[in-house]
Amino acid sequence: MHRRRLLALSAGAFAAPSLITSPARAAVETREQNGYRIRTFNVRPGSGSRDVACNADGTVWFCGQRDGTLNLLDPRDGGLKVINLGPGAAPHGVVVGPDGAAWVTEGGQNAIARVDPKDHRVQLWKLNGGPASANLNTPVFDKTGTLWFTGQGGVTGRFDPKAEKMQVWDAPRGYGPYGITLTPQGTVWYVSLAGNYLAQIDLASGTPRIVEPPTPQQGARRVWSDSQGRLWISEWNSGNVSMHDPKAGSWKKWKLPGERPRCYSVYVDDRDAVWLTDFSANAIVRFDPRTETFLTFPSDRSGANVRQMAGRPGEAWGGESGTNRIVAVDKPQA
Amino acid sequence: MACHALTRDAGRKPGPQLAGVIGRPVAGDPAFDYSPALRAARAKGDVWTRERLDLFLVDTEAMYAGGWMGSPPIRDAKLRADLLCVLGGR
Repeated sequence: MHRRRLLALSAGAFAAPSLITSPARAAVETREQNGYRIRTFNVRPGSGSRDVACNADGTVWFCGQRDGTLNLLDPRDGGLKVINLGPGAAPHGVVVGPDGAAWVTEGGQNAIARVDPKDHRVQLWKLNGGPASANLNTPVFDKTGTLWFTGQGGVTGRFDPKAEKMQVWDAPRGYGPYGITLTPQGTVWYVSLAGNYLAQIDLASGTPRIVEPPTPQQGARRVWSDSQGRLWISEWNSGNVSMHDPKAGSWKKWKLPGERPRCYSVYVDDRDAVWLTDFSANAIVRFDPRTETFLTFPSDRSGANVRQMAGRPGEAWGGESGTNRIVAVDKPQA
Repeated sequence: MACHALTRDAGRKPGPQLAGVIGRPVAGDPAFDYSPALRAARAKGDVWTRERLDLFLVDTEAMYAGGWMGSPPIRDAKLRADLLCVLGGR
């Protein structure tokens, strides 16, 4: 059993940087691919647009990792609100919380950030334990409203917004905790890129239980649950997408098309279609688990590098970190 | 450093191994399949000097747009200097 060290029990420091909201507008371009409509929004040069989260009202949050901002895109008119997260900010992941706010793994300040959905006020809770920079990665809320997060520097953690209580733990095998997901059954799972594993977190104790994927040194980077609670994993090193069924204890895996795929991210939509990104192909890739077939959507610009996807019914969204664009793939119209 | 090895025998990592990286051509680990952006840099003769690495760590995208490494910007000069010492083996 891995020795686990409780790094921090009390709430982190609280800070509220001054709100800077800049109005802007993103030009949109539309094209057709494989019968799907692709929309790309030119957001802001230098923003490093990456992880996204979709609001119920149709707007989309995205992290500007390079310029320390969280951004709110309104796809209906390209409207863009730019929120500065504070000095040294470099946000990586974002999720919409049960309170309707955007919750951000803000690696630059080694903090969890909350951006209010109405006035966009920023609150920060710094990690008060673990490495000076945990390299915070991805957040997810469980069904009780607790935020769970990963840090590639070798930590997992949780934050209770009501009690403002932060806990951070050393992860098994050190460096690597990356994607994290919630299943319909209420369980929380994460993957470790450098540690090459999938793990289920015990929500009471925070203790992870490692489940070894079938491919050694596969580089499990991101994970997403389907409607049945099966875990879909994007494997960076192997170029596979794999699937673990916790009920059956089984695994399946598929190699992405192409000579040397690099499978970076995974998102499972409301119809259980699996959306992947492949850096070698410079493409978003849709995998249909029923037919076990792939459909590839290459970007129209080089080095697009979509590092994460999310969505809402009929729309799959991602951030082209290399082109400073946000992209949406819309379900074909009947 | 989560994605890289500092020794040549450390096994497969998500990124290239960095043993002897200072003075090495960009995209110089023969076992790693680099992004087109870094392969193009190698083709035009770019070499990892300390100065180039320092600038790269500040903003990887600014130097090689479309590179695969998703590292956050390291704005702290002292931290970059420490990293360069580690990469330089001293």
